[in-house]
Amino acid sequence: MAINFGYFARESITNFRRNWVMSLGAVITIYLSLLLVGISIATGIVVNDVVQSVEEKVTIQIFIKDGASTEDVQALQASLSADSLVAKVNYTSKDDALTKFKEQMADSQEIIDQLEENPLPASLDVELVDPREVSSMVEKIKANELFLVVADRPDAPEESLKYGQQIVDKLFAFTRVIRIIEIVFIAMLAMVSLIFINNTIRLAIYARRKEIGIMRLVGASNWFIRTPFLMEGVIQALIGALLAIGSIIALQAAVIPRLKETLSFLVVELSGGTLMQLSLTLMAAGIFIGLAGSGFALRRYLKV
Amino acid sequence: MNQMISLRGVEKLYAPGKPALIDVNTEIEQGEFVFLVGHSGSGKSTFIKLLLREIAPTKGQIIVAGQDLSKLKSWKVPYLRRNIGCVFQDFKLLPNKTTYENVAFALEVIGRSRHVIRTQVPEVLRLVGLEEKIGSYPDELSGGEQQRVSIARAFVNRPPLLLADEPTGNLDPATSLGIMSLLNRINKTGTTVLVATHDREMVDSMRKRVIALEGGRVIRDQNRGVYGYGD
Repeated sequence: MAINFGYFARESITNFRRNWVMSLGAVITIYLSLLLVGISIATGIVVNDVVQSVEEKVTIQIFIKDGASTEDVQALQASLSADSLVAKVNYTSKDDALTKFKEQMADSQEIIDQLEENPLPASLDVELVDPREVSSMVEKIKANELFLVVADRPDAPEESLKYGQQIVDKLFAFTRVIRIIEIVFIAMLAMVSLIFINNTIRLAIYARRKEIGIMRLVGASNWFIRTPFLMEGVIQALIGALLAIGSIIALQAAVIPRLKETLSFLVVELSGGTLMQLSLTLMAAGIFIGLAGSGFALRRYLKV
Repeated sequence: MNQMISLRGVEKLYAPGKPALIDVNTEIEQGEFVFLVGHSGSGKSTFIKLLLREIAPTKGQIIVAGQDLSKLKSWKVPYLRRNIGCVFQDFKLLPNKTTYENVAFALEVIGRSRHVIRTQVPEVLRLVGLEEKIGSYPDELSGGEQQRVSIARAFVNRPPLLLADEPTGNLDPATSLGIMSLLNRINKTGTTVLVATHDREMVDSMRKRVIALEGGRVIRDQNRGVYGYGD
């Protein structure tokens, strides 16, 4: 086995050197394909994070009338907290609301100065486990008797609730489309690179069909013939994958800070862990493409 | 004596209604030297390809070196071929390898150790008379010398059976004679040799067993035979 390994390593390296134009072609193809796949995955991750952070902002605010009894408010808070759709219920007092308002309006001091008394209602802010459930939760709240007792405007319950229903629906439709496009795009790119690599390796094998023919005649086992080609494919794929990973890391280092600047209201980030995962995925994809591409290409020439 | 090759009721159809071989029943014993003669298209090459299991027969049973080819799993075919040396009209040498490397290649790819290669390759090159040309590339060799390299490669693993498909087809008569006497010498070491050829003079001068094919059928099988077609 030790002898064989030496032979395979020698063969792969000499072949790489001898057919370096062909090998370079394969490396570039794999590099570009994986680069595109990697960029679309990275973009997908960023978009996903942004979408998720927007989704998480979807909460239901219940405005409470001045003078509602603390027991009633607490009872409502407790009953809502017990609901399985609800993640958390926060109470915002009138004073808290005013403080927040002043913070947000810090730039327009004159508006704050005009306030003689606190016009803001207290509220319960309901965060949901799944933001998509916002409409059914709203219905539940409306049906809650305690809600009618404490609501800011019991005559018009709709007015005592605030949630971005229309925005939420549009947002979810949009994110679904983006996710589908992403998957289709990645699948197409993977197909293209597989076909390209299959072709490149087929050419390399075609260039050496005489050698393969002789190997078969003198009784070299199929695995013996196959292994150098597979190793070649894997080496090419690994080089392509490493180049792609390097490019993506460089790209994100250049692009992400700028995105953060321009889109400061959104969470634009690509964590080291995510990058690591992406790198591993690309390596695995590269190896798979290299093996599958050369494997398919070899099958034709190894029929006995 | 043991049988090296046995064909029973072998038929090969490439396309329906056009048999390349029909009802071939032949046995070749260990250590024999046999000529397989016939015109182009008589089935000689098909015969050789069947023995190498490059193709499978449509009907019948083929046994080579004790292995029933119809029952041989395809992943075992390489191991069958290690028992069969092969020589062709076009030599099939690798142009970017020297004489030594071409012969060593046959041992390398079946996983022989470097020690075995270093001792066996020079020995077989001595046997075929090419020890002087050990570092030459095929295009620096004459046709006869190239064929000797290819015989050395076929024989370096000491297979019990050597198949030669028109080994002198590209060579002049004097060179052909040298190749035939080399094959004869290999036969004397106990190796069974089967030579497919349409080289009439060669067959007539060697006086070996001759199996004649015509239209895919064996029409004659005689010991110490001659080429024997009218043309």
